[in-house]
Amino acid sequence: MNHNEDPPVKLKGVGDSLWVAVNPSLPIEQLKKELIKPFERLKHLAINARVIIDTGKDDQENNDQLIETLGSYLKAEFQVGHVTKPTPPKRSVNRNRIRQQDMGNAWHHYRNDGLLIAGRVRSGQKIQAKKHLIILGDLNPGAEVIAGGDIIILGCLQGKASAGQPDNENAIIMALEFKPTQIQIGGFVAAGIADSSGNQPEFASVEDNAIVVDDYVKGNPFRRLAWPEVR
Amino acid sequence: MDGKVIVVTSGKGGVGKTTISASLGAALAMQGKRVAVVDMDIGLRNLDVVMGLENRIVFNIVDIIKGKCKIKQAAIKDRRIDNLYLIPASQSDDKDTIKPENMIWLTNKLRKEFDVTLLDCPAGIEQGFKNSIAAADEAVVVCTPEVSAVRDADRIIGLLYAQSITPKLIVNRIVPKMVESGDMLSHEDVVEVLSIDLIGLIEMDDRVVVATNTGTPLILQEDSKAGMAMQRIALRLDGHPDLPIENPMIQKSFWKKLGSKFSRKN
Repeated sequence: MNHNEDPPVKLKGVGDSLWVAVNPSLPIEQLKKELIKPFERLKHLAINARVIIDTGKDDQENNDQLIETLGSYLKAEFQVGHVTKPTPPKRSVNRNRIRQQDMGNAWHHYRNDGLLIAGRVRSGQKIQAKKHLIILGDLNPGAEVIAGGDIIILGCLQGKASAGQPDNENAIIMALEFKPTQIQIGGFVAAGIADSSGNQPEFASVEDNAIVVDDYVKGNPFRRLAWPEVR
Repeated sequence: MDGKVIVVTSGKGGVGKTTISASLGAALAMQGKRVAVVDMDIGLRNLDVVMGLENRIVFNIVDIIKGKCKIKQAAIKDRRIDNLYLIPASQSDDKDTIKPENMIWLTNKLRKEFDVTLLDCPAGIEQGFKNSIAAADEAVVVCTPEVSAVRDADRIIGLLYAQSITPKLIVNRIVPKMVESGDMLSHEDVVEVLSIDLIGLIEMDDRVVVATNTGTPLILQEDSKAGMAMQRIALRLDGHPDLPIENPMIQKSFWKKLGSKFSRKN
């Protein structure tokens, strides 16, 4: 039988918890007996410890009852703190598979709430977007755009742009010609620089509590991402 | 056929709206059109001074709208140029005295009498501006090569588009020498920001000061560059839209050109 190869109870330390692997096919009374030995050896270390009871890969639902019984037994006998199922490692195993599915077809179901605008935004005009804002055109001096997420201007940015309003400091502002009068990201404000070259695409982001402007081609912040993801 | 109503506007003050209104009116009249120039700057009128008709004002635009007189009584005929009329503003009222509806009523009457009605819009975007654009068919935006003027013109253009009027651009007071040395915006820079059709470029001309102070029409001065530019703009406004736009440049003499060629080689 397979059961004989696996010991009925195994105990090891994982992170800040005790990982207890039990063989769920054995009767509950035998498991309780087997648990006494390692937990007595732990002595005071068992008190208030976090315990994860692993019943193996299959039959997760049926073993809930077993985990609960063993958990209350351990709490009564050894004063352990917290008894849970081993959920986190399962999730990390699945992550890659989920992302691969994303790449395949998840984009089709994603409803974008960004705002795409074509044309020139003139002085005195104000455009507000709940999330991302993309302007196919120029933003003249005196014009103002406000977005909850990123602002991308495929043209010349000369007006005022406020991204990540009110408090998203991860937002960026990107323009092909970056000559703003003022930019805001989250709660940070920066005044435009008069002698900005504006010849290459640049973007602004928050780094170390300050707004930093960088060449978009050289300093592209999204190149580092391992997977394409919805922003 | 009904005439058309053209508003001359800029947003910023002091860029040359009044001078251009007076000169374009004179140029259009000399081309044989019946022209009315209306001063919309109620309370701060000066188109009458620029046109040299100040001493002949009896009735004004507010009198027409209040029904105190007829259009023919208020319109002052220019004695030097046939078919040119001025409807002066009132100096004692303010801009809230008339409303956009009044202007629509007035311009509908003017369209029947005149081929072209020019409205000299006051600076700003308040009541005077609203009155002026309410009734206009076309708009001419005047801008100088200054950052502040471009900013205001941009705002005005947005407001004109909101009224479904497609404006045309005049860049006024260009100093070719400063443009060449990079101290002044070029008209290309202005057009790049404003992105509307250009209808004329007017060079800085000292004669304009003399003409406006003495109330003599600029276009009657044969050798005035600004006057000639105005005449070409008038042609473009009325039936010759394809007349090429002349770019004001430094007129280098033959010897200077020759000298610069030799000096480059050495």
